[in-house]
Amino acid sequence: MDVANHAALQNTLAALEIDRQKIVSTQKKGYIFIVLAIILTIAGFYFGIGVFAILAGLIPAVYGGSLLYKIADALTTYMQSFKVDVIGSVLKSVNESLQIQPALGISSEEFEQTQLFTQEPDRYRSEDLINGKADKTSFYFAEVHAEYKTEVQTKNGTRTEWHDIFRGIIFVADFNKNFKAATVVRPKDLFGQMGAWFSKNVFSFGNNTLVELENSVFNQTFTTHGTDQVEARYILTPAMMERILELNRNSKNTISLSFINNRMNIAFPLDRNYFEAPVFKTLLNPELLNQDVAAIKFMYEIVKELDLNTRIWGKD
Amino acid sequence: MIIALIIIAVIFLFGIFFYNSLIGRKNQVINAFSAIDVMLKKRFDLIPNLVETVKQYTKYEQSTLTKITELRTKATSPSVSDAEKAQIDAQLSSSVKGLMVNIENYPDLKANQNFINLQTTWTESEEQIAAARRTYNSAVTDYNNAIMMFPGNMFAGMLNFHPTPVLATAEEERKNISAKELFNN
Repeated sequence: MDVANHAALQNTLAALEIDRQKIVSTQKKGYIFIVLAIILTIAGFYFGIGVFAILAGLIPAVYGGSLLYKIADALTTYMQSFKVDVIGSVLKSVNESLQIQPALGISSEEFEQTQLFTQEPDRYRSEDLINGKADKTSFYFAEVHAEYKTEVQTKNGTRTEWHDIFRGIIFVADFNKNFKAATVVRPKDLFGQMGAWFSKNVFSFGNNTLVELENSVFNQTFTTHGTDQVEARYILTPAMMERILELNRNSKNTISLSFINNRMNIAFPLDRNYFEAPVFKTLLNPELLNQDVAAIKFMYEIVKELDLNTRIWGKD
Repeated sequence: MIIALIIIAVIFLFGIFFYNSLIGRKNQVINAFSAIDVMLKKRFDLIPNLVETVKQYTKYEQSTLTKITELRTKATSPSVSDAEKAQIDAQLSSSVKGLMVNIENYPDLKANQNFINLQTTWTESEEQIAAARRTYNSAVTDYNNAIMMFPGNMFAGMLNFHPTPVLATAEEERKNISAKELFNN
C-alpha cells in the first residue's frame, strides 16, 4: 500500500495532526504551570513566607493540573481515532474484510486454552483485535502481553518482579482439516528436550506425548507434542512442516504453534507495540505506517503461505 | 559387601527399566500398525458407495469399477496378510486415482453432491493413511534404534527382539508427476 498517495488517508492524517499538535501544546502548557508552581513554593519557603508560598503555588498548580486533566480525554480520543480511522483504512486497503476493534483482544482464558505457553499468567493484557477473512479462511489476531510474577526477599520486605511469558501478536485461524486431538509446536529448548528424553528413555512409563517428525530441520527448530501421534502427522504433513519453517524464517523470533479445536494458533513474539499513534512525533512522516502495514500484510499472507484455503479434506 | 549389593541393585533396576522401555516401544509399533489398519478399513468402506454413485452416471468405466470392487473384496477377506493388504491398497489407490481423472468427462457426476463428499472423504483418508504410515515408521525407527544401539544391542538378541523393517513409500507416490505422462493418458 502506498500511504503517500492514498488521498483519503492523507486527509485523515492531516486532521489528526492538528489534534495532536493541540494536545502536545496543551500538555506542555500544563507541565510549565506545574513547574512554575513548584518554583514559587520553593522560593516562598526560601524567603520565609510559608503560607503565602503555598497559596502562590496553588494557583498555577490547579490551573496546570486542570489543563492536563482536560487534555487526557482528548488524548484518548486521538489514540482511538488513529486506530479506527488510520489503521482501519490501512486494513481495508489490504483486504476489505479486515477490521479493527481496539478495545477488544484475545481473552486470557482463550490464551491459556491455546496451550502455546505452559506458564499461567499473573498479569494479562490484550488489545487491538483485528479480524478478517482470506478467501475461505477466517482469522483474527491481537496484541497480547502476558506476564508472571516472582517474589524476591530483600532487606525491606518482599519485592515483586514481573517477567514476560509472551509479548507480541497471537494469530488464530480456522484450520482446513478436522481434528480432535491437541498438537503443540514450541521452539526447541534444551531443558524441555532433556525432560522429554528422560521421560521416554529412563522412565518408560507416563504419557509420552513427544512427536518425532521426519523433517530434521523442523525437529532442530521445534519440539512437537501431541495427544494423538497419527493426528499430529495428519496436520503436520511434510509440506506443512516446510511451510511452517518458511513462516518461521520470515519472523524475527521463533514462533510457537498449536492446533486445538479445529483451529490453529500462532504466537509471534515481538518487541514493539503496534498500531499506536505517535504523540510527540509528527503523523505526517511518510515512514510512519511502514511497520504497521508490514505487520498487517504479514498476518494476512499467513493464510496463503500455509495454504489454508485448500479445502479438500472434508472441511469447508 | 554393601557396595556390591548396591551395584547389583542398580544393575537390576537398570535391567527392568531397559526391558520395560523395549516392550513399550514394541507395543508402540504394534499400536501404530493397527492405526494403519483402521485407516485402511475406513477407506475400503468407501468403495461400495463410490462404485454405486459412479455407476449411475457412467457407461464406459465398467471394467475399472469391476476391478475396484474385486480388489476391495480381496482386501477385506480375512485370509489376506498384512503385506498383501498394503499391496492391494496401493493398487486400489492407483485405480481410484485413474477413475477420478476419467470422471472429468462426466460433468453431471462431478456436480453430484454425494460424489463430491466421497471425493473429499477419499482425499482425507489418503492423508490419514499417509499420517498413520509415518507414525508407524517413526515408532519402528525408535524401536530399531533402541535394540541396535549400545547397550541395547547387547541384550536385544538374547531377549528375542529383532529389527523391524520400515514401510517403503509406494513407487507411485515417490515418482514425480510428469506432465508428459499426464497428457499421454
